[in-house]
Amino acid sequence: MLELRLVQGSLLKKVMESLKDLVNDANFDCSATGFSLQAMDSSHVALVALLLRSEGFEHYRCDRNISMGMKLENLTKILKCAGNDDIITIKGDDGGDTVTFMFESPSQDKIADFEMKLMDIDSEHLGIPDAEYQAIVRMPSAEFARICKDLSTIGDTVVISVTKEGVKFSTKGDIGTANIVCRQNTTVDKPEEATVIEMQEPVSLTFALRYMNSFTKATPLSSTVTISLSSELPVVVEYKIAEMGYIRFYLAPKIEEDEEDTKPQV
Amino acid sequence: MGIKGLTKLLADNAPQSMKQETLESYVGREIAIDASLSIYQFLIAVGRNGTGMLTNEAGEVTSHLHGLFSRTIRLLEAGLKPVYVFDGKPPDLKRQELAKRSLKRSDATEDLAAAIESGDKEDIEKFSKRTVKVTKQHNDDCKLLLKLMGLPVVQAASEAEAECAALCKRGKVYAVSSEDMDTLTFGAPRFLRHLMGPTTKVPVVEYDIEKILTELNLNMDQFVDLCILCGCDYCPTIRGVGGKTALKLIRQHGSIESILENINRQRYPIPENWMYEEACHLFREPLVSSDDQQPDITWTGPDEEGLKKFLVEENGFNHYRVTKAIQKIEVSNKSSQIRLTSSKQVVSSPFLERKEAKCILGASELPIKSKVFSQGYLKPTNYGYEIEELAAILQKFLPQLSKSLSQSYSSQQGRRKGWE
Repeated sequence: MLELRLVQGSLLKKVMESLKDLVNDANFDCSATGFSLQAMDSSHVALVALLLRSEGFEHYRCDRNISMGMKLENLTKILKCAGNDDIITIKGDDGGDTVTFMFESPSQDKIADFEMKLMDIDSEHLGIPDAEYQAIVRMPSAEFARICKDLSTIGDTVVISVTKEGVKFSTKGDIGTANIVCRQNTTVDKPEEATVIEMQEPVSLTFALRYMNSFTKATPLSSTVTISLSSELPVVVEYKIAEMGYIRFYLAPKIEEDEEDTKPQV
Repeated sequence: MGIKGLTKLLADNAPQSMKQETLESYVGREIAIDASLSIYQFLIAVGRNGTGMLTNEAGEVTSHLHGLFSRTIRLLEAGLKPVYVFDGKPPDLKRQELAKRSLKRSDATEDLAAAIESGDKEDIEKFSKRTVKVTKQHNDDCKLLLKLMGLPVVQAASEAEAECAALCKRGKVYAVSSEDMDTLTFGAPRFLRHLMGPTTKVPVVEYDIEKILTELNLNMDQFVDLCILCGCDYCPTIRGVGGKTALKLIRQHGSIESILENINRQRYPIPENWMYEEACHLFREPLVSSDDQQPDITWTGPDEEGLKKFLVEENGFNHYRVTKAIQKIEVSNKSSQIRLTSSKQVVSSPFLERKEAKCILGASELPIKSKVFSQGYLKPTNYGYEIEELAAILQKFLPQLSKSLSQSYSSQQGRRKGWE
């Protein structure tokens, strides 16, 4: 038996918005600790990990660990039917092949039930090793979204370099080049407007902007974003979900080579 | 060409073995491409208008170059690493088939002449397509073009599909792209169709040989036998046996040998001097280059001047188009997208650790795919279950298994009691 009641129904809508461009279908795993998802995009370049802890739900009952395979497109369709202030309850039976979404309006005068068929999804469960990052940047999420959007009008890739001075985002394309530098700035009125850089050593990595832009769809979930970088590792772009958990995007870097001869690793 | 009716047979009997993918899914992957077949397609399809084809100033056909150039650029832009494999000497068994094809071609040439005389445009188009033959000159042109573009060219010892399959088995490439279904018969682990299609609108279809064998419930040797029964390039088939009957017979008898012993020869006449054993041998152990015979597969930068001279000056390509394309090759050479999982295999990964197998009871071998397995009850993480409960759930699906489980439970109980 599974029953999860989420007062902040809009949260689930926002989570889906941030996932649906990246992943087509995924298994949602429910356990006593919370509601989680881990999935890779079809080209295995990006990975998303979502966690909504049980404490964040008004009511959380999960007797058995359940993994529910869903097509995100269909889930989005159903969640679109929920109002922004609606309370969402997710219900499922052990061994059943459907999941039910119940939307209650805040005034309790309208209750909608949607039952969705589950799917069998083959997915490898890959563990993400803990890693030390050379540089961690925390900045306003809207700022980061704006930078990615602006740069993608110029080029396809972004070079993110962290030095003592700050974090630099740069790109180049047919029409020219662009550089945006954000300096460390902790003297702001609100803590969420700060840009904080923790750096062990300078690091510079290249990423496809297409993916970065799809990550920034999670901006409505959090006012700040944390970007953790290390050479040889995928970047982690994390949006904290207040009192509930997080949504983390991992993206493998692109390798830029200056030499003419590029030898593949055979 | 290929195996008769195999596509349909797989779609009907092994639907899980094929999946649709986009070009972008193969970013950073090395893909072996059956070049000879692609060139043939280009000659048929690119820039054709009645009997007229794209030509250079000297009147030589350039359709194959246009096709190959633009298609390859598209693959490079998507981040793929193509390896073109050219046909070598055809095996002796294929002679008959080749003779048949050349006969058809000369028939078509006559028909074409008749059609031109009567001025029937549709017929002209139809028959002129049938007269297309890939000559050595075409192949050499394409090899030169690929070398100038800095791409690896592999000369197969014999059949290109077999060579591609061998490269894939050795892990030199991730998958094989061809339209020819006998690539699967040669045992290519991953086989892509429609990768070289004219538009990106048709999705790439990926076949997984392991899944095919699991779903058809055959081993590789039986699959080869099945393909021979369906009809391949190397020997004739038994009259009256198509894909469906072939599958039934193989499942029933296990091999062609045993089918021959048991089949009603009146109803299914066996061809005289049937060379099925030779065909089997050809599929199972095809003539391919050994590891050290094949030079390393390397991607180098494009030869800008060479390309411009060959394409623009000698073959009348648009100068601007070629310049643009060279830039694209350079960009794709310089930067490559890393994947989270390793580029060679899906299983090992540079960044991610593989967790324990998802299902402990080996669902892939079970005849029924039940919700219980996919929903994660049997994942190693679900220790919450008592064995009794598990058995109760399983009872619905697998009475036998549940019996053995409860037995092991009671024996455990016994042991525990003794220990206490």
